[in-house]
Amino acid sequence: MTALAARNLTKVIGDRTIVDDVSFELQPGEVFGFLGPNGAGKTTTIRMLVGLIRPTAGSVEICGFDIRREFEKAMRCIGCIVENPDLYRFMTGRENLQHFSRMLGLDRSEIERVAELVNLDHRLDQRVGTYSLGMRQRLGIAQAMLGSPRVLILDEPSNGLDPAGIREIRELLRRLATERGLAVFVSSHLLGEVELMCDRVAIIHRGRILKDGPVKNLISNRRAMEFKVNDVTRALRVFEQSGARATPPASGDHAVLVAIEEDDAPPLVASLVREGIEVFHARPKIQTLEEMFIEVTGGETVD
Amino acid sequence: MLNLIENESLKLLRRRRFLIVVAILFVIMTLVSYSQYRQLRQGRNENWRAELQERIARYENRLRRGRMNESWSRSMRAEMRRLQFYLDRGINPEAPTAPLVVRTFANAAGFLLLPLLISVLGADIVSAENAEGTDKLLLTRPVRRWKILLSKLLTLWMFASITLLTGGALSWLVTAPVLPAGGWDAPMFNGFAFGGDQFHIESVRELPLWKDALIAYGLEWYALIAVGSIALLLSVIFKSSAASIGTMLASLIGGTILTRISPDWTAGKYLFVSALPLADYYTGQLPPYEGMTMAFCITLLGVWAAVAIGVAFVIYTRKDVFG
Repeated sequence: MTALAARNLTKVIGDRTIVDDVSFELQPGEVFGFLGPNGAGKTTTIRMLVGLIRPTAGSVEICGFDIRREFEKAMRCIGCIVENPDLYRFMTGRENLQHFSRMLGLDRSEIERVAELVNLDHRLDQRVGTYSLGMRQRLGIAQAMLGSPRVLILDEPSNGLDPAGIREIRELLRRLATERGLAVFVSSHLLGEVELMCDRVAIIHRGRILKDGPVKNLISNRRAMEFKVNDVTRALRVFEQSGARATPPASGDHAVLVAIEEDDAPPLVASLVREGIEVFHARPKIQTLEEMFIEVTGGETVD
Repeated sequence: MLNLIENESLKLLRRRRFLIVVAILFVIMTLVSYSQYRQLRQGRNENWRAELQERIARYENRLRRGRMNESWSRSMRAEMRRLQFYLDRGINPEAPTAPLVVRTFANAAGFLLLPLLISVLGADIVSAENAEGTDKLLLTRPVRRWKILLSKLLTLWMFASITLLTGGALSWLVTAPVLPAGGWDAPMFNGFAFGGDQFHIESVRELPLWKDALIAYGLEWYALIAVGSIALLLSVIFKSSAASIGTMLASLIGGTILTRISPDWTAGKYLFVSALPLADYYTGQLPPYEGMTMAFCITLLGVWAAVAIGVAFVIYTRKDVFG
């Protein structure tokens, strides 16, 4: 069953269309990346997914329940952090978790379970005001995991975390998806993060989804080998003779991009050497999401 | 719903505001009891008859001199007749006893202090969540928004009631050791009905103090429930604690000043603050505007509260929650 489905979501405020006809689906066990620059409409979309904002048009279904018509049933299936992990700073971590588990009507043992999940059990009795951002992020995930939801929605989960913290969260989310079959929705403006964490990615820009597909496909379509040589002109002739499509480098550079698989590289290197061309290196080059992103958004900066 | 009320109460207590409110009440009641104690010790209440006569004479003089606006002289004349009434019966209306202080607390604190304290306590019960960003978590749970707001309203009402009771209890606890602690059955004269300029002596009822206090506290409780409801609306409208508490305090204080300085602007009687000192009106103090009967005041507060609650629920259940 589809874990989460957004259909033709649109939000218009005044005469500005903030989110424009956005549709996507999440399957259980999948980590879905929602990628876009700041101000692209990511947070507005998330707020519509969790019922904080009423869409101008379109609908959201969570585990088969329409979020407007069956709000309570739909929200039982979901755990989320919208923007920052804002919890009650004047209460302890445990009191925060108790607060939310009371809203769900859960057992106390549930609190220990989620705290263990994010390795926070040792600091649970301190006030959240004394927590670091990383700890608050983990407490945020803990509260989102209360009541064993089927869908996890996290808005920029690595914001403000150090590299170790980012890695920790990445591994946790992957584990939740593969071991428990959770559908995880992660928004981000960091390409590297999405590339490492997600199975599928949608790219949103100015409120519209520009691309949607498995991360692997988006990348493998763009495989190439880079050859660094001393004589570019002669090398290009060699590539042409062997039938490989080569992209000449920018002037002054000696690296040529050739659209071939890694396995086809050794014969090409041999040909180059036979022609007396010096080969400094030959390495696989994968076009990163960043490059792809710049391509699809028309080169607008991503921070 | 009980779960939700427990949550809201815990949050309110954890913010430590209630502690501050109790501390303020304690300090004020200590000062009151000290001043009453001094009054008792100095034997000022020995010659209360002379004092009453003097006060009446003073009013008479001022009335004779004239040059004051109509409603001022009207209330002065009424107060004169009230004092004369006590004098004729041989009852000292101001002899301090602990029960009397408890009874007076309903009037003195109900008029501005308790509404202010309740605003400080709860006028940001919704806006604080908005400012701290916690509303995003609160509203993405399988609980409908109207239930969340209802739990907040009920919590506010509960704490308004607790504050009133705490005030009453504190006023007894602080004064009982230094003032005569008995006298719950002392006669109280209330229900002074003012029909225009007439003082109807026949409508005066004599009640034992405890019964009289019960009525005064009941009226004050009703007024505080209305204050809590209006505070809820402001906390829904505004997005920060400071804005909602500030507006609530400003309307309470501003409204009170307005009713005092311009009693000729009769539309002022429809402000909720004009009807707030219910206990005062019950005791016999003249309301600032003509035609403000007890029934009018109670209805007015009820309408204000109902409208505030209605608007608050409509806004809260429909609004888009942005950052």
